[in-house]
Amino acid sequence: MPLATLPTLTPALPEIFLAIASMLLLMLGVFSSEENNTRTVSYASVLVLIVAIPFVGLVTEGRTVTFGGAFVTDTFAVYIKALVLVSAATAIIMSKDYLKIQGIERFEFPVLIVLATLGMMMMISANDLIALYLGLELQSLSLYVIASFQRDSARSAEAGLKYFVLGALASGLLLYGMSMIYGFAGTTSFDTLANIFHDAHGHVSVGVIVGIVFMLAGLAFKVSAVPFHMWTPDVYEGAPTPVTALFAVAPKIAAMGLFIRVMVGPFGELGAQWQQIIIFISVASMLLGAFAAINQTNIKRLMAYSSIGHMGYALIGLAVAGTAGDAALQALGVQSMLIYLGIYMFMNIGTFACILLMKRDGRMVEGIDDLAGLSKSNPGLAMILSIFMFSMAGIPPLAGFLGKLYVFQAAIQAELYALAVIGVLASVVGAYYYIRIIKVMYFDDPVDELDRGISLEMKAILVVTGVVIVFFVFYPVPLLTGAESATAALFHK
Amino acid sequence: MYIAAVFLPLIGSLIAGMIAFVAQGAVRAEDTERKKRLDLASQLITCGAMLLASVAAILVFIAVVVNGQNGTVELFTWVDSGSLEFSWELRGDTLAVLMVTMVTVVSSMIHIYSIGYMSHDGSIPRFMGYMGLFSFFMLMLVSANNLVQLFFGWEGVGLCSYLLIGFWYDRPSANAAAIKAFVVNRIGDFGFALGIFACFFLFDSVSYDTIFSEAAAKSTATMNVFSGEFHALTIICLLLFLGAMGKSAQLGLHVWLPDAMEGPTPVSALIHAATMVTAGVFMVARMSPLFEYSDVALTVVTLIGASTAIFAATVGCVQNDIKRVIAYSTVSQLGYMFFALGVSAYSAGMFHLITHAFFKALLFLGAGSVIHAMSDEQDMRKMGGLYKLIPATYVLMWIGSLALAGIWPFSGFFSKDIILEAAWGAHTGIGQYAFWLGITAAFLTAFYSWRLIIMTFHGESRADEKTLAHVHESPKVMILPLVVLALGALFVGILSVDYFVGEHTVEFWKNSIFVLDTHKALENAHHVPIWVKFLPLVVGIGGIALAYLMYMFAPELPKALASGFQRTYQFLLNKWYFDELYDKIFVKPAFYLGRGFWKAGDGLLIDGVGPDGVAAAVQHLARRAAAMQSGYLYHYAFAMLLGVAFLVTWFLVAGA
Amino acid sequence: MENLLVEYLPILIFIGLAVGLAVIIPIASLIIVPQKPDAEKLSAYECGFDAFEDARIKFDVRFYLVAILFIIFDLEVAFLFPWAVSLGTIGVFGFWSMVVFLGILTVGFIYEWRKGALEWE
Repeated sequence: MPLATLPTLTPALPEIFLAIASMLLLMLGVFSSEENNTRTVSYASVLVLIVAIPFVGLVTEGRTVTFGGAFVTDTFAVYIKALVLVSAATAIIMSKDYLKIQGIERFEFPVLIVLATLGMMMMISANDLIALYLGLELQSLSLYVIASFQRDSARSAEAGLKYFVLGALASGLLLYGMSMIYGFAGTTSFDTLANIFHDAHGHVSVGVIVGIVFMLAGLAFKVSAVPFHMWTPDVYEGAPTPVTALFAVAPKIAAMGLFIRVMVGPFGELGAQWQQIIIFISVASMLLGAFAAINQTNIKRLMAYSSIGHMGYALIGLAVAGTAGDAALQALGVQSMLIYLGIYMFMNIGTFACILLMKRDGRMVEGIDDLAGLSKSNPGLAMILSIFMFSMAGIPPLAGFLGKLYVFQAAIQAELYALAVIGVLASVVGAYYYIRIIKVMYFDDPVDELDRGISLEMKAILVVTGVVIVFFVFYPVPLLTGAESATAALFHK
Repeated sequence: MYIAAVFLPLIGSLIAGMIAFVAQGAVRAEDTERKKRLDLASQLITCGAMLLASVAAILVFIAVVVNGQNGTVELFTWVDSGSLEFSWELRGDTLAVLMVTMVTVVSSMIHIYSIGYMSHDGSIPRFMGYMGLFSFFMLMLVSANNLVQLFFGWEGVGLCSYLLIGFWYDRPSANAAAIKAFVVNRIGDFGFALGIFACFFLFDSVSYDTIFSEAAAKSTATMNVFSGEFHALTIICLLLFLGAMGKSAQLGLHVWLPDAMEGPTPVSALIHAATMVTAGVFMVARMSPLFEYSDVALTVVTLIGASTAIFAATVGCVQNDIKRVIAYSTVSQLGYMFFALGVSAYSAGMFHLITHAFFKALLFLGAGSVIHAMSDEQDMRKMGGLYKLIPATYVLMWIGSLALAGIWPFSGFFSKDIILEAAWGAHTGIGQYAFWLGITAAFLTAFYSWRLIIMTFHGESRADEKTLAHVHESPKVMILPLVVLALGALFVGILSVDYFVGEHTVEFWKNSIFVLDTHKALENAHHVPIWVKFLPLVVGIGGIALAYLMYMFAPELPKALASGFQRTYQFLLNKWYFDELYDKIFVKPAFYLGRGFWKAGDGLLIDGVGPDGVAAAVQHLARRAAAMQSGYLYHYAFAMLLGVAFLVTWFLVAGA
Repeated sequence: MENLLVEYLPILIFIGLAVGLAVIIPIASLIIVPQKPDAEKLSAYECGFDAFEDARIKFDVRFYLVAILFIIFDLEVAFLFPWAVSLGTIGVFGFWSMVVFLGILTVGFIYEWRKGALEWE
């Protein structure tokens, strides 16, 4: 009876902190006066998320397991959690004005984001199929609610409903896959699974394989990889913009982290089995992200396809990590993917900050055409959005280029030439729609001006992300070392 | 010091360029005050940089030539790839520092002159920036210590020449001339580049020291060209000479130079008279250790040089544009230099190069002064009687013309004399050919020079009154550089003749020029019959006299001659129909071919299948991809299930 | 093999009972209960709605709210029974786990109370 005694709680300190904090936040909101409780809770939530970062950072090396082996903390988790916390905090900051404009200021919003973040952190640290599912569901349920947070808007409600139904289907697939694996391997613990597959030398029963495929499908849904991406454009477009900003970053990064943890952890020895699938998903995502975005007129929808494409590029790293038997190559793949995710976070936060500034006469607008002539009415914003777009398109020397460079290099090292070539071609096609936005801003005849005036927080977000994107090339060391030590935790147990 | 001489112009030019392209863009058009200040800043910076550079260059010259130090400076390794290895280096022998000194001094004079000449122009910083950049490339060219660095400078000056010829880019003729110069130079440069490749092929190195020290050992080597065995050094020299022909406007590739006069006059003086066009001469002298081992190449050089000299002189006699006359004169003088090189009298060629730089720059700038006075009129038929109005320019033009015609004691006398004597002294058939053509050209040179002076300065004025009322002597800032150049035209020859080609020639040149012992043209030049010595002077005076006769005393004569010998006159006026010939043989077919490629090859095939086709396909795919997004929940769920089913099937079929 | 099947015996019995009851109860109601059918009695019981009208009608969301809240606390009780039975074996950790669970539920309860979800008007 391993569970009879009280487990050590210190590895899960950040999660416990967040859990208690979220409940306190809920109480704070419900007991404070109606007028400005949203403000108070928002700021408190941001504070909580930021305070959680040093808690997370307590782990500097090594690997600690607790709760009977169901929960693991290592530098890999630290890296992903830090990204998730940062993006969740910025999402709350960015939501402030938007909620007020749309008249949906309710204090549950930041609390739900904190709860979602808690779910993400739990799934990142999951070391057991059940723990994985728990974290995933806590995250998903919170996100379903905030997707339809603007409940008077049909689009928002539709987005939430679609996300919920398809998310439930994906959860079903995931659970089914998990039960198959449990049925055929007899355990839900990642460590035990890894040992079993290690001893099997790649020969496993069909049931396990089918189970892995189902799990892959469920996880691919979470990272919105083709063909499980269909929800993405509709949900991104319908959900309130700060929610979209959150969706584009935090859950994606967390799910990618989980993806890595599951694929190279318990199933690492079976790379030969799943590498093909990841390659297929990656290629399909890159191509769809490149092509389907071209004719979009709504910038949020465009960003949806953009993120599908970006997930495709990040999955190249995972495909490389599927090269069974070559630990160095696997580490390279994971590392390139982690760097890519870090850069992706900065680019997306910055871009969504720009999108959240698209207001006319006090109302939000989302059309790409609304950006026409922005270079004249608001040259600063136009310039910084251009930087993000160039970076997304992968123009050197911006960070987005380097991110792509790392994953393509990893693919070349792994001799996945076709993957790298398709990636480059897709990014050429993708460059079209990113640069079209710049063209609209700089060369099209101005429509009615967008509102000026940028709040201090937004300015700070724009400047920080912009600086990171532009100057990453000169000082990439923090991200690189972070990714390196995160990768090390996965491969040197 | 050497580094300062070469790189100061670059720094000046970069600052001027910043002013032109950055600072000036920020100034509003109405803000003339600020614009003036920026103009002035660019002028001061570039001129200051050039002057400092010339001081530095003179110091280097003293150190290297007088004190005999080795001035070579290695900057850093440029390429280190396999056996191809070379550095950025500044070569410090007599030939290089002599050129560096000449270029910086003449260039700084012309920079100063430009302040006055371009004072009414709208884009002064751009002009000064280009000029400075040109000076830098020219210095790079002459100070190179390997063929690739030489080529870097070579192409750089070509670029600047293009930019400056087309400086007034709102004139179609200037653009056409710029493109012509660029394209014609490209032909030469193609040969030049092949020559460099061949050099590397033969010597496995592109650095001068290696090539020169191994030239003797390879003097009998052969090279397989189009499956025929040829003497390797001849091939290399002829290819390199093709480059020199392009850059120095030798017969066949000369067509761009007269058109290049579309550029502002200081450009014509600096680039198309004093410095860049002499790069070919310099290069052949530089490569003398190779040329010496190829009699065929030397003969070709002599032949082309002499032919160019006479061809350009004949054409120069009938031109009416004041700058074109001087331009043809430049082509002709370059011909002199080349046939001097061809008879192994490299030092004589270089001597003429230096003296020519001074008096030709003087003539051009003088012509510029005239043009400036005449409110941008260049046609000599609309001038006349100007000597009273612009006396200083008149005197300076006289000095320049006397030097050009080779009258003692002007510097042109010494250099032209020694070239002609060397041609005679070569004691070869081709030497005789060069000598007699050279004498004839000398006669014509004197003739057209005075034709220019008389038509411009003497007789009744043929200008309209409005122009005439505006005629004024140029400002001091323009006259002063002219005086300096005039001093050069007066004294460089007489002072330095002993060093260049006389008693001290060995100490002066040291090892920078190589002549085989069997090639004794220069030595023989000092022992030619007395009539050979005096003939150039006599024909020079004769030419002057004829010009006076025809244009001063009997002004009807030229017209009568022109109508009497209509054919010949038209032939000369149309520059031997070179342009028309090239138009028929090369330009028209090239256009025809180009249009074919454009319409059929590029438009239909490449655009149709390539960019347009791909773009259309992308659009199509984009529509299809977006159409998949129907908005129906059950479609989405169905897609997911299909995806799972597909993946499982794939796995079970392919994986197992 | 034998043992395996023996282990599943209770399930077999359970299935048998279920099927038996499912058959017996409708038949018994047919036999024992007096049959006086009318329109209301013949319609399916559907939470107060007419079973055969348009599905898209307005209804009071409070019914559902109460039902959802009920389910939560119903499940809580469903967890409490097995917990109470096995408390001896799951030890301190088991005990505190349930306390935390109950604590979280209490927070949720306070929230809904403050929000007024429990008030019908």
